Amino acid sequence: MRHKAVMLTGNAAAAWGARLARAEYIPAYPITPQTEIIETLTKWIQEGEMDAKLVQLESEHSMLTAAGTASLTGVRVFTATSSQGLLYGFEMLYNIAGWRAPLVLVNVSRALAAPISLEPDHNDVLAARDSGFIQLHAETCQEVLDFILLAYRVAEDRRVMLPAIVNMDGFYLSFTREPVKIREQDLVDEFLPHYSAVNPFRASRHVAKGSAVVGGHIYSYFKYHMHEALRRAHDVFIEAARSFSRKFGELYHPVSGYMLDDAEYVLVMSNSFATLGKHVVKLMRQRGVPAGLLKISMIRPFPAEEIANSLKGRKAVAVFDQNISLGLGGIIYNEVLGALYGCPKRPEIVLSVIGGVGGKWLSVEEMEKIFDELKRLERSGITKPRPLFLFRRDELTHIERVLKLAGTIEVSHHE
Amino acid sequence: MIEISGHNIIIALTIHYVDEPMLLKVRFHGRGGHGVKTASRILGEAAFNEGLYAQDSPIYGAERRGAPVAAFTRISDEEILERGFIFDPDIVVVMDETLLNDWSAKPLDGLKPGGIAFVNTTANSQLYDYGETIRENLVIYDLTGLALKIIGKPIISTPSAAAASKITGIISESSLIDAVTSELSEIGVGDDVIENNIILAREVFRSIPETPPSTKLSDSKRELIPLEVVISYPGYEDIVSVGNSPLRKTGNWRVFKPIVDFSRCTACGVCFVYCPDAAITLRSDGKPEIDYDNCKGCLICYRECPPRAISIEREVRVW
Repeated sequence: MRHKAVMLTGNAAAAWGARLARAEYIPAYPITPQTEIIETLTKWIQEGEMDAKLVQLESEHSMLTAAGTASLTGVRVFTATSSQGLLYGFEMLYNIAGWRAPLVLVNVSRALAAPISLEPDHNDVLAARDSGFIQLHAETCQEVLDFILLAYRVAEDRRVMLPAIVNMDGFYLSFTREPVKIREQDLVDEFLPHYSAVNPFRASRHVAKGSAVVGGHIYSYFKYHMHEALRRAHDVFIEAARSFSRKFGELYHPVSGYMLDDAEYVLVMSNSFATLGKHVVKLMRQRGVPAGLLKISMIRPFPAEEIANSLKGRKAVAVFDQNISLGLGGIIYNEVLGALYGCPKRPEIVLSVIGGVGGKWLSVEEMEKIFDELKRLERSGITKPRPLFLFRRDELTHIERVLKLAGTIEVSHHE
Repeated sequence: MIEISGHNIIIALTIHYVDEPMLLKVRFHGRGGHGVKTASRILGEAAFNEGLYAQDSPIYGAERRGAPVAAFTRISDEEILERGFIFDPDIVVVMDETLLNDWSAKPLDGLKPGGIAFVNTTANSQLYDYGETIRENLVIYDLTGLALKIIGKPIISTPSAAAASKITGIISESSLIDAVTSELSEIGVGDDVIENNIILAREVFRSIPETPPSTKLSDSKRELIPLEVVISYPGYEDIVSVGNSPLRKTGNWRVFKPIVDFSRCTACGVCFVYCPDAAITLRSDGKPEIDYDNCKGCLICYRECPPRAISIEREVRVW
């Protein structure tokens, strides 16, 4: 594995993705934990190693507006943000998708205020799940780089023509270095041909984009088109992934398994914590438990059919959400349930697990608890289990101390 | 205790890894400005240069000089299936001994039985009570003193990484030096400073003995608690006991202590104006009084004092 690999953070891998894709225009606005991407690109452009125009705007709203409109001129656009920044520019996400501007946006996940935090969960990126963006969620720094290349290829395909978000977790990927293969530029150029826009803005040729529509039927017409185009992105991704694997070796899938083939107890995860999931699956296997993991890399379009096929016939399934839709529960859990409903041989037990919200550190014990719970549910015959919220005694002890400092509790009743 | 070039070094006796396959977890604790993140990267790169799998990452909050920072390096001979905070390190590198008393940093927390604790401390300072489990596997060295001598600054990323590399027993000097060069180049350090850092790294690497940890997986289990217990606590993030910042004293962030020579002080008030932390007040005669409980040792007063009435002195422990 060592040949051609270097130690890169997720942020550096994202910058390499943009560089290898030959992004031409990069509107930027700093926010932790994304800023290192923009800093890296700025350095390369300044040193003449990358031929692109980088402009710092005055907000993420302006940044995304510039990104979308620039993409419509026919240049390849890259941009990046996190959390509050994504929400500040949120209005433009729906516009960019509606304009059919196939840019790539890297979101470095960070929990949303309040309380304000720097560490990751997926409420930020999942808030954008209905906007029309393709969403690819990375587990490793290598996937960050490779997904950016795949995202451009799929987004710019004439059967799709929609923007894409590549998501990586703050800290766990953004600031974490691990071996990453920087893909060969000539092979990337072959994989990713020049972007050719539909009716690009030109001084010499009139075109209006983003026109207002009067009448819901016209609105519906275009929304149906976008929906079908986004659904097509699934097959276009598979096609692109095959082409990618012929050039670079790795074959990516919308969903993929780890020790899944004969698994009876399956944990469904996405993003960087899937690594922790693999670790516990391995531990379970060493103890003779037929455990496995299903990783969802493509969140939009949602690969419902593949998920249902991968989960059918299993004894029990846990869906891990590093997000919380307040008043409902885990977002991915509910989408997976939707995918399973009506499928033959669907698993009877599907447990919702909430963990890692706000980047909460997860211990092995917490990950083991998921499988213990699945086995307990199977034994007891409970088919509609209550969600499992992961939390530890030592964390609560720390919180007691903090609450005492804050003056909201007088004396601990647990010490 | 073995005396090596003036430094007291206590050596662990067993040299083998119990866990199979090998996964070595190193946790660094220091303060913003020490080079904690860079130390973890140099170690990660050095291990990578050895042909091993490596992963390094820092954790920090609102960044500021002097605040506690931690960073992690994982080294393995197979793909690493862990991420983020290291709960159960095989080696902890404490880059500032004053952190040993910091309840939020807790640098020795979770160190596996048989794990190695490295502490950057002056040999002549009184040792802390490290506790029974640590004392057997302790390595100490005055990295700051050596850094001040060789590079002229209390930045200890390179020597901390060198200490950790040597302790592991699996990293060669040449892999370490390559890592020092590439990591410092990447963050824009000049060639002459890199040269001095290499001298520093070699000195530390050669002085410290190989003391690989012989750790076992801990039997202790962290207890999980249900949601019902969590939500039995107050749920608003209000702080009602306001004005408690003075409780968090920041004086032990200092490496150097500013000292006023009142015979030369002209009561011009420049130090008072420049102090970024309001740690200097003016007495009735107009001369400064430094609040050493909170002075972080930025030394702006020392640099700005027009009559050069402020001198500095290296400090080892504040409290």
